[in-house]
Amino acid sequence: MIGVLVLTGFLGSGKTTLLRHLLAQPQFSRTAVIINEFGEIGLDHELIETSTDHFIALTTGCLCCKLRSDLIATLEDMLRRRDEGAVPAFTRVVIETSGLADPAPILQTLMTDANLAGRLMFSGLITTVDAFNGAGTLEREAISVKQVALADRLILTKSDLAQSGAAQLGARLARLNRLAPLFTADHGCVDPNVFEIDSSNTSAKWSRELVSGQSDLDHVHDCKIQTWTIVRNEPIHAVTLSLFLEALAEHCGADMLRLKGIVHIAQSPDRPAVIHGVQHVFHPLEWLPRWPSEDRRSRIVVVGRRIPRRWIELLLTAIQMEVQEVGALTMIANA
Amino acid sequence: MSDPGKDIVAELLAQSLIAWGLDGAVQTTSDGAILLSCNGRNIRVQAAAPNLPFRWMVTVDHHARGAISLVAVLRRLRIALDPNYAANPVHVAFPRTPS
Repeated sequence: MIGVLVLTGFLGSGKTTLLRHLLAQPQFSRTAVIINEFGEIGLDHELIETSTDHFIALTTGCLCCKLRSDLIATLEDMLRRRDEGAVPAFTRVVIETSGLADPAPILQTLMTDANLAGRLMFSGLITTVDAFNGAGTLEREAISVKQVALADRLILTKSDLAQSGAAQLGARLARLNRLAPLFTADHGCVDPNVFEIDSSNTSAKWSRELVSGQSDLDHVHDCKIQTWTIVRNEPIHAVTLSLFLEALAEHCGADMLRLKGIVHIAQSPDRPAVIHGVQHVFHPLEWLPRWPSEDRRSRIVVVGRRIPRRWIELLLTAIQMEVQEVGALTMIANA
Repeated sequence: MSDPGKDIVAELLAQSLIAWGLDGAVQTTSDGAILLSCNGRNIRVQAAAPNLPFRWMVTVDHHARGAISLVAVLRRLRIALDPNYAANPVHVAFPRTPS
């Protein structure tokens, strides 16, 4: 039987960072990964270093709402290709859900699909919680409460950013889920043994509730949350990107749930910049050593509430024009 | 700013009102200015004179102030129009581009 681990956690809570660290561990070699992103263009898979031992599949759309059949099809396809020798003989599957996913139907699918049951075994649900934004997210986002409540393990991330409130957050998490032990990740690093879960104990309670449909946790999906992808074919000036991010953070605030992107900076044609933002917080920009694929377009994904797409597009375009114009004027003045 | 540029800025300002949940109107004038009316206030946005150290002048109820960028223009408008807005300028600094 091949164990299936589900990794969930609200937008920006550090799932991909954790996964990236995990896949670098020897005991997680020969792992197949399914990444589900709630957006038009997936990016997370490009942020994870692949090796010949790993195999990554990507789904877009929200697994919990519409695409459970996609998950089954993806898993069946992975198993078929494994049997044919077309992909490495993985011994473990990790599903990274989108930050907006309700994990319950995913677990249901893994536990009840007859075709998968003989070969795959749900081995546990890991939920990441952002120590900096986690308390506020739990207040605002019902889905994050459910992600915590269903977990077999809770992993506190970004504790280096949280100045205070860790104890209150820990107490809140304990109230929501007293069965799940809480671990702390240090910049995405956590003891890999945390992921070795004896599902016969910890998931038994949830398994019974979910399969019988008697869970008292509602299926929640916040329909006000939308995802927009901004694509630019031409390189973006570093000043343009700075001003754009400043304006987004200033005017959208808590409504900007998540921003991530791979950006072709004009001043760095060979090394793309990776940007991450959660609400008011932007993480330090990362320079990738090289482009992960032939696609060198800038792609910025914004997940937010009540943020008009047209406004985001115009904001970037207008700032681009202004920066170009100022640059041209400077050149004329210096000539 | 060029005419296409002015049109984009005018549409950006109109979309900004929508993004901020405000009802208002935006129109351009023949002398290159953009006029906003919202919450009983009239605001004029126009390119600053070349001898000024600003790119834009934002006039709110006859009080004119300079703005160094479109981002600064948006901030001035939001402060003037949105009573619930707590100005909290964010500055994003980039590390040096890799060599």
